Amino acid sequence: MHRTVPSLPLAPSVKVKLINAGFQLASDLIDMRPLQLCKEAGISQEEAVEVLQMLRDDGQPHQQRAATESLTALDLLHQEQAVGSIVTFCSALDDALGGGVPVGKTTEICGAPGVGKTQLCMQLAVDVQIPVCFGGLGGKALYIDTEGSFLVQRVADMAEAAVQHCTLLAEDTEQRQALEELTVEKILSNLFLVRCHDYVELLAEVYLLPDFLSEHPEVRLVVIDSIAFPFRHDFEDLSQRTRLLNGLAQQLIQLATQHSVAVILTNQMTTRVSNGQSKLVPALGESWGHAATQRLILHWKGLRRLASLYKSPSQMEATIQYQITVQGFRDAPDEPRPTTASSAVSSPSGNHSKRLRMEDLS
Amino acid sequence: MASKKLRRTGVSADLCERLKRHQLETCQDVLSITPVELMRLAGLSYPAAVELLRLLSKACVPAVSTAWDLWRKKGELCFSTSLPALDRLLRGGLPRGALTEVTGPSGCGKTQLCIMLSILATLPRSMGGLDSGVIYIDTESAFSAERLVEMAQDRFPEFFSVKERLLEMASRVHLFRELTCQDVLNRLERLEEDIIACRAGLLVLDSVASVVRKEFDTSLPGNLTIRSNLLGQEAAILKYLSQAFCIPVVLTNQITTHVGEKVHCPQWNQADVSTEEDSGFVTAALGNTWSHSVNTRLIVQYEDTERRQIVIAKSPVAPFAVLSYTVQKEGIRLEGNENPESVLNQGTDPGLQPIRVRTGFIYNLSQATPSTHQELPLAAERSGSNCLI
Repeated sequence: MHRTVPSLPLAPSVKVKLINAGFQLASDLIDMRPLQLCKEAGISQEEAVEVLQMLRDDGQPHQQRAATESLTALDLLHQEQAVGSIVTFCSALDDALGGGVPVGKTTEICGAPGVGKTQLCMQLAVDVQIPVCFGGLGGKALYIDTEGSFLVQRVADMAEAAVQHCTLLAEDTEQRQALEELTVEKILSNLFLVRCHDYVELLAEVYLLPDFLSEHPEVRLVVIDSIAFPFRHDFEDLSQRTRLLNGLAQQLIQLATQHSVAVILTNQMTTRVSNGQSKLVPALGESWGHAATQRLILHWKGLRRLASLYKSPSQMEATIQYQITVQGFRDAPDEPRPTTASSAVSSPSGNHSKRLRMEDLS
Repeated sequence: MASKKLRRTGVSADLCERLKRHQLETCQDVLSITPVELMRLAGLSYPAAVELLRLLSKACVPAVSTAWDLWRKKGELCFSTSLPALDRLLRGGLPRGALTEVTGPSGCGKTQLCIMLSILATLPRSMGGLDSGVIYIDTESAFSAERLVEMAQDRFPEFFSVKERLLEMASRVHLFRELTCQDVLNRLERLEEDIIACRAGLLVLDSVASVVRKEFDTSLPGNLTIRSNLLGQEAAILKYLSQAFCIPVVLTNQITTHVGEKVHCPQWNQADVSTEEDSGFVTAALGNTWSHSVNTRLIVQYEDTERRQIVIAKSPVAPFAVLSYTVQKEGIRLEGNENPESVLNQGTDPGLQPIRVRTGFIYNLSQATPSTHQELPLAAERSGSNCLI
């Protein structure tokens, strides 16, 4: 209501004419009729109608919306519990993340080459499809591949292993029924695949993601593997790259919350030389570090693969060991089960603990 | 897609004109700026700017498929290397649509492997080949047509006993010699037409490292970034070509000495590791960013004076594994792999994997043996040495 005219999302030429005609605040314009505005400001009739419609959408309903749309923390807690998270099948990592990769947030996975980022992404694309009665989300996945590392034989292996894992867990009739529909074919059919060759195609895909997610409301996971490769070699103007990446990050977090999906971004590592020492840091620059809600860094230590949670609003920093087996992303064999403060009930699979937690709170 | 002109996407003519005044002519130009910048440059309101971006996105966006569509074309996903143990580990062979790098010390067999794969690609499908042409970009002038023919005759003696088949195979391998970085990049940018004209099913670039290392001295400031950008561009073009035509791309790389603490290597025993702690070790060249860019990395290295090893250092489908081989007249032959020490579920950073180089030289005086195979009319006299160094 007290918005000034220059701050309205109108075309610059229209704004200039309105200001020259003496309109300073949005409240000056709100009661005008189109033809009157047209004459006084010297703008065309269509432009006048556009201005008034924008003000109408912006004005009254906004105040009412403000009252009803505020969320209490309790509402948010129920929402977060209801929406769940995606298990990774590595129970140490699931515990560190507080149950799994959270839906409604963006998670960045950085790592050196060959450490397992693509493996983890493929595993999550399979795990999101585990039926609800087994503690999963029963959703579909969208995999945006910019590197060409998505090899379907590996996903088929992981899907096969996941089906077998669920078969061993099936106890009651509901689970057995769900198991009949859970086949490798179904898992592969619910995994949408897009191959982007450069940053323009990636940006285009993200602009159109809201439409895609509205058409496919069962999608619960969006993976971009990797977001670093298309942005690392084509840009002389690094500030333009930062602007585009920030825009991308904002769009993705908006998607995550509005459509209730988990967004996973894979990043690469780059060498930074300081004081004659070189070390590996996540690529894409310092400001990109703020983009994702959670940041997981996968790295080698000698022969072992470790995952460190580096940034999270709700979990403690932790480092756990994992391994990549024929079946996929799993716990490392000789690590004792970590006892962290956040784990509710530990079990060999993360599934049972999730079910218990939801029932505890209802 | 990205370079599509605006006027072909359904944008109104006067809007195109307005955008042209600000040098925005293609989809890429417009999508590379933020909505607020577009508002200012095009004189649009915010919702109109977002709508324009969505319209252009629809013109550029790649198609959506599912993993099931890919899985149904299972037979076309891999290129068999005719080395059974390697194919088994790689779940069928070299992936079509991705980059495979072969790196290692000189003389280990990288070019031999490339020549062998070239022969295999020209074979009919019934023999495990791709029945297609081969584009071989040679930057070191290491490709030898005689060796190609000799290997073909030795590896598939019955098939190539017919001289016409041999000639046809040789005519399907298209060789391009490029000697500078810019030449290589230009060639890659125009390669689509060549791939279609040659009906190529395999692209070999031997080697990526030699031209780049000749021209860029990375101790000079700024050169490292330029080199990384160049390699990134080459990788992006190669990935596009390999995915668009569904062909395997094989690249060769060299080695460099990495000065720093020694990284533990799974297949060496403790005795090897404990000596030479901090003197630096030999690893794949071209740096960490390049290690990210290739999808599969095979390292060839020396095991002892006779035998060599292929190490699968990075692969989306295969575990870390080591296979022994020798280089013979018929190309690469796997041997001594009865108890493969693979599937360790371990590994190291493929950019830091230590590589064994040749430490001793054996000078053998061998008897010259007359060649027992068909001679092609124009073949030159061959020297008598039997071992391939």
